[in-house]
Amino acid sequence: MLAKLRSTDTSRYTIFLILGVVFTIASVLSENFLSADNLTNVLRQVAVITIMAYGVMMLIIGGMIDLSSGAVMALAGVVSVIVYKDTGGSLVLAILAGIVVGVVANLVNAFFVATLNTPSFIVTLGMMLIARGAVLEITQGQTVLQLGDFVKLGQSSWGWLPLPTLFLAIITVIVWYLMTQTRYGRSVYAIGGNQEAARAAGIAVNRIKYKAFALNGVLVGFAGVLFMSRVNAGLPNAGVGYELQAITAPIVGGTSFSGGVGTTAGTLVGAIIIGVLGNIMNLTGVGSYIQQIVMGIIIVVAVAYDVFSKRGKRSKQILKPTEKELTDPIDGEEDSLSQRHDGPHKEVP
Amino acid sequence: MDARLSLRGITKSFPGVKALDNVNFDVRPGTVHALCGENGAGKSTLMKIVDGIYQPDAGEILVNRETTRIRNPIEARSHGIAMISQELNYVPNMTIAEGFFMGRMPMKHGHIDWSFVREEAARILDEEGLNYLGRAKLSSLTISEIQMLEILRSVYHSADIIIMDEPTSAIAHREVTSLFKKIRALRDEGKSIVYISHKMDEVFDIADDVTVLRDGAVVSSSRVEDTNFAQVISEMVGRDMSTGHYPKEKIEIGEPVFKATGLSRKHLFSDINLEVRAGEIVGLAGLIGAGRSEVARAAFGLDPLDEGVIEIDGKKVNASTPQRAIANGLSMLNEDRRLEGIIPKLSVKKNATLASLKSVIYGGRARKRIENKLVDDYFARMSVKTPTTETLIESLSGGNQQKVLLARWLITEPKVMLLDEPTRGIDVGAKFEVYKIMSQLAAQGRGIFMISSELPELIGMCDRIYVMSAGRLTAELTPPDFSQETILKYAMNEVEVA
Amino acid sequence: MNFRNKLAGASLAVVAALTFSACSSGGTDPAATDTAGGASGDATYRVAYIARAQVDSFAAWLANEITAEAENYPDITLDVFDGQADDEIQNTMIENAIANKYDAIIVQANNGVAQTPYIEQSVAANIVTITTNPRVPDIAGASSVDASPYDQGAVVAQLALEQVPQDAKVVVLNGPGGNFHSTERRNAWQAEFFDKRPDVEIVAEDVANWNKDEALAKMEDWTLAYPQIDAIISMNDNMAAGALEAVKGDDKFAGILAYAVDGTPEAVLLIKEGLMTATTLQNAAELAQLNLKTVHDLLTGIETEVNVDIGNPLITSDNVDEYVKLYTDSGQIN
Repeated sequence: MLAKLRSTDTSRYTIFLILGVVFTIASVLSENFLSADNLTNVLRQVAVITIMAYGVMMLIIGGMIDLSSGAVMALAGVVSVIVYKDTGGSLVLAILAGIVVGVVANLVNAFFVATLNTPSFIVTLGMMLIARGAVLEITQGQTVLQLGDFVKLGQSSWGWLPLPTLFLAIITVIVWYLMTQTRYGRSVYAIGGNQEAARAAGIAVNRIKYKAFALNGVLVGFAGVLFMSRVNAGLPNAGVGYELQAITAPIVGGTSFSGGVGTTAGTLVGAIIIGVLGNIMNLTGVGSYIQQIVMGIIIVVAVAYDVFSKRGKRSKQILKPTEKELTDPIDGEEDSLSQRHDGPHKEVP
Repeated sequence: MDARLSLRGITKSFPGVKALDNVNFDVRPGTVHALCGENGAGKSTLMKIVDGIYQPDAGEILVNRETTRIRNPIEARSHGIAMISQELNYVPNMTIAEGFFMGRMPMKHGHIDWSFVREEAARILDEEGLNYLGRAKLSSLTISEIQMLEILRSVYHSADIIIMDEPTSAIAHREVTSLFKKIRALRDEGKSIVYISHKMDEVFDIADDVTVLRDGAVVSSSRVEDTNFAQVISEMVGRDMSTGHYPKEKIEIGEPVFKATGLSRKHLFSDINLEVRAGEIVGLAGLIGAGRSEVARAAFGLDPLDEGVIEIDGKKVNASTPQRAIANGLSMLNEDRRLEGIIPKLSVKKNATLASLKSVIYGGRARKRIENKLVDDYFARMSVKTPTTETLIESLSGGNQQKVLLARWLITEPKVMLLDEPTRGIDVGAKFEVYKIMSQLAAQGRGIFMISSELPELIGMCDRIYVMSAGRLTAELTPPDFSQETILKYAMNEVEVA
Repeated sequence: MNFRNKLAGASLAVVAALTFSACSSGGTDPAATDTAGGASGDATYRVAYIARAQVDSFAAWLANEITAEAENYPDITLDVFDGQADDEIQNTMIENAIANKYDAIIVQANNGVAQTPYIEQSVAANIVTITTNPRVPDIAGASSVDASPYDQGAVVAQLALEQVPQDAKVVVLNGPGGNFHSTERRNAWQAEFFDKRPDVEIVAEDVANWNKDEALAKMEDWTLAYPQIDAIISMNDNMAAGALEAVKGDDKFAGILAYAVDGTPEAVLLIKEGLMTATTLQNAAELAQLNLKTVHDLLTGIETEVNVDIGNPLITSDNVDEYVKLYTDSGQIN
């Protein structure tokens, strides 16, 4: 039993462990943390970021990245609000408009990244400026007001379940499905793992990249709609810095910057951990400046751990192992080069 | 014995596997010591311990009769140990000149002495008769060329103990001769060379001592003159195997399944005409840089083709992308599996089914049972050794990785298989299995096209052999003309021959 | 592949250049995004207005008002520049305006201290120089038009003095750290309210960076930690609106008081609905009028130095209709 426990891959479950630890510490720090109201709050608060995080997770797994999601989210959300008002209250058209904006912006990204082979870092950085400029221009810097029933999306509940959380749950399932049950998902992992090998195996690399950006666009667009609906205003300066949070969640959740590795569940847990940390700091009165420091530390630690764990650890071996130890599986010993003879290893869904 | 390098009682285990069991290994100064064994026998592991990449669980290492601890490759270097690994490590964007001095840039007054770098690189290349430019990027060379440079590099920064892991696996004859000349020169200077290889003819040509490993233990260690081919091979595989025996069957040859006419690509190759018939194994020989891989890649749609027509089963097909090529029944095993073959962080199962996603994911979901069955089936047929099918492919040995990649292509049920150096860097036992598989595939009516730099395997396995030289076809040989000399003649012939 | 890379690089460079030039509204080129005023007339005065940032909704509103107001002066052509909330950039803009020999420069400083040397350069170059929103004090030869953030805060705080119940528990929302307007308003609250009402307890106070969504999230969490909150005291309307969203429809906080500053259309609507208690109008239109009048007076020599403030009218449910009309007329509310 112990041997089996040791030989199973622990890194996959580490993130859940961390979630448990964070929850425990939080509940100790504040008696209000574990209340139903608070937990519902947290789930509602993380919805927008997590939906955005799914989009960028897909891109990172595929070896790309998106720095424009905060700005595009704002643009999509504001356009959605304007469409809602101009069409006299058509929620469907409004949501559609937001999604279309997100998709169009990301198809532009895709064109430069996939067809013209420009690094996604640069392209999406440019798009970030373009989208932000666009939304400011459209609104002339002013908040769009009097949203009427538009807020129902972000502020109402289905029973006890806030709508944003419901959307998050549905979207989580959809994203999980895309990544594990479709050829598209498998291809994304392959492309991120080794793009040339994927191409040589007959994967239509460019087409998949376009799809990934398009899906990202849908997610970012919808996130924008949800955001504006929650704050009851079309805020052109919303989402500044959101792209960083959206990137942190998957990294904390096990997605690797080098591509080819990552899970939907991990991203969700990563986002929840970040949300819980923000929540507990608010509950205990930790100031905004400290919160920023903490967030920065998390980002650094998450990425450092990501890089470190991929490199593998070498344990110092002075004691000559006994006969028994030699026949039992040894876990945790990884080596950086290819001749690894591990037991059941990390499964990539 | 007066050994320069001595390993005593070396034992090493990994989870689930005992890689080395009480190994004793002595390398005398001024000798070439061959290390033979199948993959998984422990040769690479043993040498990685010497190179400081692994630490032994038990045992000791003596360098020049002093017990030493080698904690990492840098310490190994300081003890005069240099390693040229089977999987080359190079930075594609680096120039050739920089590659020679990577990690040991010559300094002058606190700056890198670039003129020294340039001059020395030029001198080394010139001595070898290689006409590359020192400022050319490594990425512009083929895998075999890079390997040659890596050997030159190690030789240049002469260590006392040079370990070469399958050094000639991607080199054609002419280079082997000059390499051996160099090895002998180093040996005469008193250096020790550990030569890991499966190629018996090379071992018996160059080595003074030979040690055979099997399943992590030393089976024998003797002077080369005290043993012979058959003995060594049987010690390696633990069974008697007659040398030079290729599992070639007599197969009924059918109609052409693959026909390439007038393939051309600017600066690379011109007017290549190839044909493979059902049940045939056709070889393509040539020196490094002749353009063979380029032809195959272009035929498969990985690279663009300026001109040319591809026909499968007599019908013209559009193979301008790998996707289309696969849909039309083509498949291709690339030369460099690390660069274009394996997806390191995916499981062997997912790597194997990568080219056949439509067969394992359809109707809206992933068909786990079907995928498992498919993979188990093919892996059994090809004797792929892996702890489980969820194991990441990067954990497997080179030979098993190659088999997984072969399985990948087999699963697509191809009509034609283009194999670029399919047995490179894999052990005798695995090679034999690959040849058997190739024969079976041919018997099923497929067409097999094999690019190889190993003339014996071409001669042993092929029904016909094409030869290319400097981008053109110089010969199409049939069995009566099969001989290493003839092939080489046409490989070095720069004049177009019908 | 190589060609594609070059094409990509070139396209991106073009896009980036266009974007940056749009953002900076002109940069070194005097032809900027907004040029207002008639060209003909005997003397045409060229005026540069260097706004703090486009992103800040108040600054954007002010810039628009100034542009509109300039239309009323046929002898003034106005160019607007965007400091992008960056001291470096704003200083460069001032320098460029001096080099391009503008007749007058109006600066809405991002950071008074950082901009002081450059404003002084403008004065030294004999250019009519005005600082507005905020005024940068102690620059000899420069004029200023401002709203006093202290007074803005004080007016609301004095009202709260009477309205906030005994032993009340309140939350306070501040603007970005070091922001002059935020700190001054907070100082006013301290002196005019908290110092005079020691019975009132601040259960939570934090920075929400002028942002509605940040305030919303904070208030959501605070309402759980502190079941009794009687008033929201915010240094601007956006944050108060965000906090109010968090308790919207929650019976426990049905009568919560909310005080802020700015008098934005959103705040006016909230006061009309009875959700927000009071705010002070920071009237960008009035600021703009005063700025243009001042610059015109200085340019035509009527005045040599002007330092003036706009009023700080309090908006409450008593007079809110007036302001609803104001904003409806200007199109900011439907």
